[in-house]
Amino acid sequence: MSLIPSLQAAATVLHATGTQAEAAVSGDIAMACQATDLGDWRNLVAVIWDFLSLSLFSLGGGNTLLSEYHYLSVSKYCWLTSSQFADIYALAEAAPGPSSMIVGLLGLGAAWKEGPFWGVLSGFTAEAAILLPSTLVMVVACLSWNRMRDSPWRIAFERAMGPITLGILFAVGLKILHTADTNTPGVIVSVVVCILMLRTRISPLWFMAVAGVLGAFGVINR
Amino acid sequence: MTEAASPASGPPPSHRQLFIGMLQVALSAFGGGLSAWSQRIVVEQHRWLTNEQFLTGLTVARLFPGPNQINMAVYIGAHFHGIRGAMAALAGMLIVPFSLLMGLGVLYFSVHELPAVDRVLAGVVAAAAGMALSMGFKILDQYWKDPVALLLAAASFVAMQVFHVRLVPLVLIAGPLAMAWYWPRRRQEMPAAEEKP
Repeated sequence: MSLIPSLQAAATVLHATGTQAEAAVSGDIAMACQATDLGDWRNLVAVIWDFLSLSLFSLGGGNTLLSEYHYLSVSKYCWLTSSQFADIYALAEAAPGPSSMIVGLLGLGAAWKEGPFWGVLSGFTAEAAILLPSTLVMVVACLSWNRMRDSPWRIAFERAMGPITLGILFAVGLKILHTADTNTPGVIVSVVVCILMLRTRISPLWFMAVAGVLGAFGVINR
Repeated sequence: MTEAASPASGPPPSHRQLFIGMLQVALSAFGGGLSAWSQRIVVEQHRWLTNEQFLTGLTVARLFPGPNQINMAVYIGAHFHGIRGAMAALAGMLIVPFSLLMGLGVLYFSVHELPAVDRVLAGVVAAAAGMALSMGFKILDQYWKDPVALLLAAASFVAMQVFHVRLVPLVLIAGPLAMAWYWPRRRQEMPAAEEKP
């Protein structure tokens, strides 16, 4: 692989970081942007780079990345509409296994128009890209944990990242609520589910099932 | 919390056993409680790790970036066979749930335009949004007595919510500042691993 596409990919990322505010604002309203063509391998490299570089920022078990996933798939690359993103988030939460596997669904959505085979391949690639860097760091951490355990770096890192994660998770929660974009009964259901999640140990699958029925009868719509 | 303190009594697993063990965890955990199942299978059933080693693993898994359950599989695999063990454990943990999710995804993209499906999903999405809202509240308690932590959390929230700062620059700027503040000034105790669902 030559150096130039990687630099372009890096430049794309930097550019995206710079124009974040406008993109985040306009992306929510207008769906007019053009879906990025993954057939062009330079786009593919840029996309894979985006996921690779996000991997090490998945604090708090990965949920802090949800806003970034929305930004990438809806605003930046236009693979999904905002409501499709909300659907996919719900699917990943309902399905067994770590909910961070939502990245596989984003990849699937990105290449869906090329057919299921490419969609699944793309989903697999996206999931591999988001997991690879954090997994490598985790391997190193495991093998050197005894030395790292009492290091001031480790202690400061652990204490510092907690509160930042807390703030991000609140922003992510609101972002998902905004993305769900349901009517008033829907928002009431969201708030009730939030309270029940905190106060009871009922499986969230029940909440989804009941809310799904409410949706089928038209009580909740968007 | 030293790893060599009290060795687990079971024989160390081979790569294949790691794969099968993690597959077992993934299959048992349908409907949630992955970390409880992983403890039951890895510590109680196979005796690969002592409970202490397992809890250390959870601490490390939560500290470092990446999904907790996946990091935990990496920890268990790497503990025995380094990077290849981690790969075997990871494959066991991911293969079934990921295939299933991809199947669900294919189904979703095939039928999501049907009005009936969209109506049901509108409801499901409202519940999922409630679950997302609860994430912050779940960890709020542990910071309640630390005003600096609350200030940091509020600043991060406002940066993202109001000023639309992206995650990466936010962490790169707030992270080092917070680390400087929380730098241990004297020898302090290691925070204990806490069990979270």
